[in-house]
Amino acid sequence: MGGLLRSALRSRTLLTGLLITLLVLFGILAGPWLTPFAPEEMDFINVLTPPDAIHWLGTDSFGRDVLSRVLSGGQVSLLISTCGVLAGAALGVALGMSAAWRGGTYEAILMAGCDLLFAFPSFVLALFMMVVLGFGVQNVIIAIALTYLPIFARLSRNLTRALLPEPFVQAARLMGQRPARILPFEILPNILSTLLVQASIGIAFGIVMEAGLSFLGLGVQPPTPSLGTILADGREYFQRAPWVLTLTGLVVSVALLGLNLLGDGLRDLTDPRLRKAAGP
Amino acid sequence: MSSPALRRALRRAGILLLTVLAGALAVFFAMKATPGDPALAALGENARPELVEAFRHTHGLDKPLPVQFLAWITGAVQGDFGRSLTLAGGVPVGELIASRLPVTAFVGLYALVLAAAISLVVGTVAALQRGKAADTVMTSFAVLGVSMPDFWLGYVLVFFLALNFPLFPSYGFTAPAESLPGALLSGFLPALAIAAPMAAVFSRVLRASLLEVMHRPYVQVARSLGHSGPFVFLHTILRNALIPYVTIIGLQVRYLLGGVVVIERVFGIPGLGSLMVDAAFGRDYPVIQACALTFLVIVLLTNLFVDFLCMRLDPKARA
Repeated sequence: MGGLLRSALRSRTLLTGLLITLLVLFGILAGPWLTPFAPEEMDFINVLTPPDAIHWLGTDSFGRDVLSRVLSGGQVSLLISTCGVLAGAALGVALGMSAAWRGGTYEAILMAGCDLLFAFPSFVLALFMMVVLGFGVQNVIIAIALTYLPIFARLSRNLTRALLPEPFVQAARLMGQRPARILPFEILPNILSTLLVQASIGIAFGIVMEAGLSFLGLGVQPPTPSLGTILADGREYFQRAPWVLTLTGLVVSVALLGLNLLGDGLRDLTDPRLRKAAGP
Repeated sequence: MSSPALRRALRRAGILLLTVLAGALAVFFAMKATPGDPALAALGENARPELVEAFRHTHGLDKPLPVQFLAWITGAVQGDFGRSLTLAGGVPVGELIASRLPVTAFVGLYALVLAAAISLVVGTVAALQRGKAADTVMTSFAVLGVSMPDFWLGYVLVFFLALNFPLFPSYGFTAPAESLPGALLSGFLPALAIAAPMAAVFSRVLRASLLEVMHRPYVQVARSLGHSGPFVFLHTILRNALIPYVTIIGLQVRYLLGGVVVIERVFGIPGLGSLMVDAAFGRDYPVIQACALTFLVIVLLTNLFVDFLCMRLDPKARA
């Protein structure tokens, strides 16, 4: 464990990712106390002002401070994406592990279902779900969960299957433990790190998906601020005030960069084989 | 073709057909489970009851569900997906798809070619310059590329390129059938926006697989036989590194098509993606079903093609 920590401290990718992610998290959580403006506070004298010392990202068409909106929208977007990925992961892992355990027709049918879900372009699947369920926050979460369900199901099924012949699993089995105990308490801790890496990358993609859906008007609906609705707002007056869309997107990109670096660093750390192959 | 290969191909075709059928079932019944009446959505909430009844009858909505599904699927096999519920005069959905599909195929392939071209250069340079400044710069750009939402990148590209260089139109799209140079120019920025995150993913995979192949024994054999560096790189290293590269391109096609949907809408490109988004707003069920199914078939066919390509590339699989 000490060696793991030491290589974690030596990994520049991981540290940079962690630093950016923590900064973004701090900004999002402490945002209301950091910025002097409330996200809904309108100011019709200062409409669409360019970025300056008071409004770092400028103001929008209602004179609202864009930075405050991005921070509170980031909270909503992060929450949506995290809930979606976690829900997809929980259900996917349960299905995938049980499929690996039971095998046979049950496994074949489950995996065929996952393959089917996986064969739809992810955004098309999300779009389709938004039509079926209706627009709005909960349904974006469900759409993200459904997109990630097959990924986690397949991943956890493969990982579980590889562990089944291991002595500690066999021992638990011979001791007469039930699968309801073996799967979550014996096998899950051993595959959790890989699943967490997948989740951290998944949350970044989930944020992009929420932003994309809401940007088109099919996801979160205004006045709820989310990164997607703020970007959609910025598009409305892009010609007059390009900074709203440009800078908001830049902030989103930096946040996602942090999450992706974190995921990459964690993956290298948990998979030494990959670390050797992929270089520094 | 030998008989095991033929049997394999037939099996794959069978699985593909079954998957499409299962997809059609899922799409159809999910759509039927949606709250809201498509007749009321098309005619307005205050439509006269006899009009609603007539609308249901013309679109076959008054029949039992299994009958509706059978009618829909037998029609779909013949390219008849019913009629649009919202578009003027109830345009046949099959015609809509047929007119939009070439545009989406063009934009998608354009983005794919751009992403492949960028990633071949970036991945190769990064692998050859491993650990040096060029590698660090290219690898950082690759991570940054994955982190930018494509629709946002599209807007920024328009802002900085189209508004300063009138070469690229900022909005609108020339169909490839009308003028190919026009289509290549007007499609460049949208395709680039879709390609950027893809290129980032591809070049990371290519870099990793190049680095892995470079130290294999057969590469040393090729070198010791006296072949020149570039020859060994092209014929031995790159060729073997291409298998994971092509595989990841195939896997990413579903993300690429997602990007196409958003970008088409953003740039006003009349493809399948913008058709589907419009249909989503109008609750035009037949159109949405047909679009989803068409996208499914595109992904499945791409997967099949990629498998075939990998088999051709891998000398072990060919033998």
